[in-house]
Amino acid sequence: MPKITIDGQTLEVAEGTTILKAAGQAGIHIPHLCYHPAFAPEGSCRLCLVEIEGAAKLELSCSTVVRDGMVVRTQSEKVKEARRSVLEFLLAEHPLDCPICDKAGECKLQDYYEAYGLFPSQFREVKEKRAKLVRIGRNLILDRERCIQCTRCVRFLLEITKTGELGVFQRGIHSEIGIYEGEPVDNNYSGNLAELCPVGAITDLDFRFKTRSWFLNSRPSICPLCSRGCAIAIESHKGLPRVELGQRVYRVKSRENPAVNQYWICDLGRYSYKYLDEARVEHPAQVVNGRKIGLSWDKIFIILSEKIRGLLIRKRTSRLAIVLNSALTNEELFLVKRLFQQELNVSRIIFSDPPDDKGDGLLLTAERTPNRRGALALGFELKGNWEELKKDKIDLLLIFASHLPEAIPLSWLQAEAVNIETKVLFTCRESNLDWLVDFVLPTAPIAEKQGSLTNIDGRVQNFKPALEPWGESWPEWQILVRLAREVPVNFRFFGSLNSIEAIQQSMAGEIPGLISSP
Amino acid sequence: MSERVISRDFEMAHLFEIGVYLERGGYGAARQALQLKPEEIVEEIKKASLRGRGGAGFPAGLKWSFVPKVDKPKYLCVNADEGEPGTFKDRFIMSHNPHLLIEGIIITSYAVGINLAFIYIRGEYELIAQRLEKAIAEAKEKGFLGKNIFDSGFNLEVVVHRGAGAYICGEETALLESLEGKRGHPRLKPPFPASVGLFQMPTVINNVETIANVPYIIQKGAAWFTGLGLPKDGGTRLFGVSGMVERPGVYELPVGTPLRRIIFDYGGGVKNGRKLKGVIPGGMSAPILLPEEIDVPMDCESVAKIGSMLGSGAIIVIDDQTPILEVLRLVTKFYSHESCGQCTPCRLGTSWINKIVKRIVAGQGRKGDIDQIERLASQIKGRTLCPLGDAAAMPILALVKKFRQELEAQLTH
Repeated sequence: MPKITIDGQTLEVAEGTTILKAAGQAGIHIPHLCYHPAFAPEGSCRLCLVEIEGAAKLELSCSTVVRDGMVVRTQSEKVKEARRSVLEFLLAEHPLDCPICDKAGECKLQDYYEAYGLFPSQFREVKEKRAKLVRIGRNLILDRERCIQCTRCVRFLLEITKTGELGVFQRGIHSEIGIYEGEPVDNNYSGNLAELCPVGAITDLDFRFKTRSWFLNSRPSICPLCSRGCAIAIESHKGLPRVELGQRVYRVKSRENPAVNQYWICDLGRYSYKYLDEARVEHPAQVVNGRKIGLSWDKIFIILSEKIRGLLIRKRTSRLAIVLNSALTNEELFLVKRLFQQELNVSRIIFSDPPDDKGDGLLLTAERTPNRRGALALGFELKGNWEELKKDKIDLLLIFASHLPEAIPLSWLQAEAVNIETKVLFTCRESNLDWLVDFVLPTAPIAEKQGSLTNIDGRVQNFKPALEPWGESWPEWQILVRLAREVPVNFRFFGSLNSIEAIQQSMAGEIPGLISSP
Repeated sequence: MSERVISRDFEMAHLFEIGVYLERGGYGAARQALQLKPEEIVEEIKKASLRGRGGAGFPAGLKWSFVPKVDKPKYLCVNADEGEPGTFKDRFIMSHNPHLLIEGIIITSYAVGINLAFIYIRGEYELIAQRLEKAIAEAKEKGFLGKNIFDSGFNLEVVVHRGAGAYICGEETALLESLEGKRGHPRLKPPFPASVGLFQMPTVINNVETIANVPYIIQKGAAWFTGLGLPKDGGTRLFGVSGMVERPGVYELPVGTPLRRIIFDYGGGVKNGRKLKGVIPGGMSAPILLPEEIDVPMDCESVAKIGSMLGSGAIIVIDDQTPILEVLRLVTKFYSHESCGQCTPCRLGTSWINKIVKRIVAGQGRKGDIDQIERLASQIKGRTLCPLGDAAAMPILALVKKFRQELEAQLTH
């Protein structure tokens, strides 16, 4: 392994490591704009130049591979001057519209100017006039004055999606990014371009002019919209008076996870976040004669536990039926299994998942729920056999619909409603289903709770809440634990499950494969 | 005039037809070469100290020997883009004697183990491209190209590819991109084309004039070649003399001929008996020389020693009536126009300088403008992805350094 010295720090790195990466390992950040770890070095921005002892010129750190004994300086006067000079060139023609630029606050050019620039502008010439509003895709606006020609967008579309919608046109100072006539960026990964753009040249119509990046809380989560389990960041704010738009979530961004989604997420995962703020079930309610009557959770648990207790006493728990879906977490499915299957001997448990759609061959899978692998590992059969539910009379039907109430067949419920004594719907979203059940109880979607999901490759991924639960929403695992305690069922067991960690600990004993390795 | 090699037969009518070329002993060198071992040819070229005629002056034999001996397709790209302002020598070779180039291509390809060669020719050279196509067809008909050439078992095809008018495509890696059908953007080096070139395969890229020398070296030997020129820089060069000179044109002279002799003895001196103000010795990107510097021998090392370069051997003569600001304007306009736009310093630096110069020309020059030009040019130099940045910065820096007073005098504000 070659040994190199960077800014006086000596370290050993793997053969073939570039200076930029080696510096990163030593905790030294070398500024760069065109370089992105997902692509081969481009070497065009010239910001990452460093001094190598013995070399006549400054060398690119993004593409130069370390050699044993190499001595690199990233902070010398020569390097600093070269950085300033690149920033000066870029800023010469860059518009000063940061106050209205969506990238402000998370713009690399801004950050680097703060860190390595801070010079007064010496540019006294007339700036180039360029198009500032070019629609290059469904959600994408290109501002050519802000573009710094790093070509990350072009390379993303060539190397990752392999769709190649963007190209560089013209030459020299007139170089510009563009689409080919009549062929806009149209693929399921287009939203990554706005994120990938180090400046505000490509902005996202969905986010444009809605808020400022520094108002946002960015919290990690996992995308629940297919079984890939991409790492995402959910960015929200409670809303300042001047920017109140009645929404918490302003955007979903990708988070790096080399094992799952590298640096990208698909447009479905990026733009579907509105379900987190729209048509949410606010409070627990009883539905009586087409009206929702608010009830407290305490009252709900009294009603439900009484019903279950009644069935228990009459040895009629076989009259209980459960509808699940695979958007529930491993912990929740584990609790369902313990509580209903093992303790209450409920045999009628079916899954009502949305039908498979088309995968796109990149990240998006055909399965539109995040945890089918987890459910299978827990021994569930993922069958949506609604006819089977009718084999015997149902006194209590518990429907866990998560964020997917559309996956429950409305017609079945319409036909059977009168035959079932009590129908309880746990969901986070309002739907026509609400009027066919007796209780509608608000649950927390993945974004608002803690737990783990097992993705399509069997990878168990833990996540924590990225948002506060909406209204009086409860995570299903809390509902299940509380219900078990209220009945009570095996209090010794359920009584100790006060946290996801506690549930995971007891799961570990029973189903080892469901716990993620740290 | 001393011995002419490449241009020996240029005065002959219809030399571009294979019959005439064969009468003059054409394709003899190729026939001879194909009986040698490839390594022997490379060795001979190395000994001949044949340096690249395109601009960088890299030893051709050495370049060939960098090609790895691997079982992969290898390619030869003849750089006939001839875009350096002031350069008009390759067109003479190709239009007068296309078969000489083809013969050189056969020998080079055989020496390196290449079966497919490309001639990347400047788009504007339409007639020459046609002439090349015709010559290739003639050679193929005679069996000098195609399969089993001279019964040696060696196969070779030659393809002419016309460029679309970008200066940058004369830069070897941009040329490769363009040849692959992509936008002509230079590639990051390493890897160098000798190992990863056209279509990712090992590739030799040589200038037309370089290749045209090869048949003569094979025929007459390395010693003869270095005897013509210098031990470390052999042969003759086709000097293109232009600008304010009495007899502009292409002159084939031994490497090392003093610049003064080329301008005054062959070029007939400065036009209309005016005085010399400066000379650009190797194409527009070569730093300008002052009258007192023109005793320099025209070989790669000597010209480099005084801070300029032999480049493509294109000599541009500037007389005392030509304003240096006008020279600066043309240089900056050209490079800002031809910058491919890929890397930051070249794209934005050349344009910024060009904007300042345009302003000065418009009578709006301000104090400090010349310093600014110098500062910006030095921020381009040595910092760009390809040599074009240096090609732009060096002549600008030299003009500013050597003619500062005259330029400062143009600042009216």
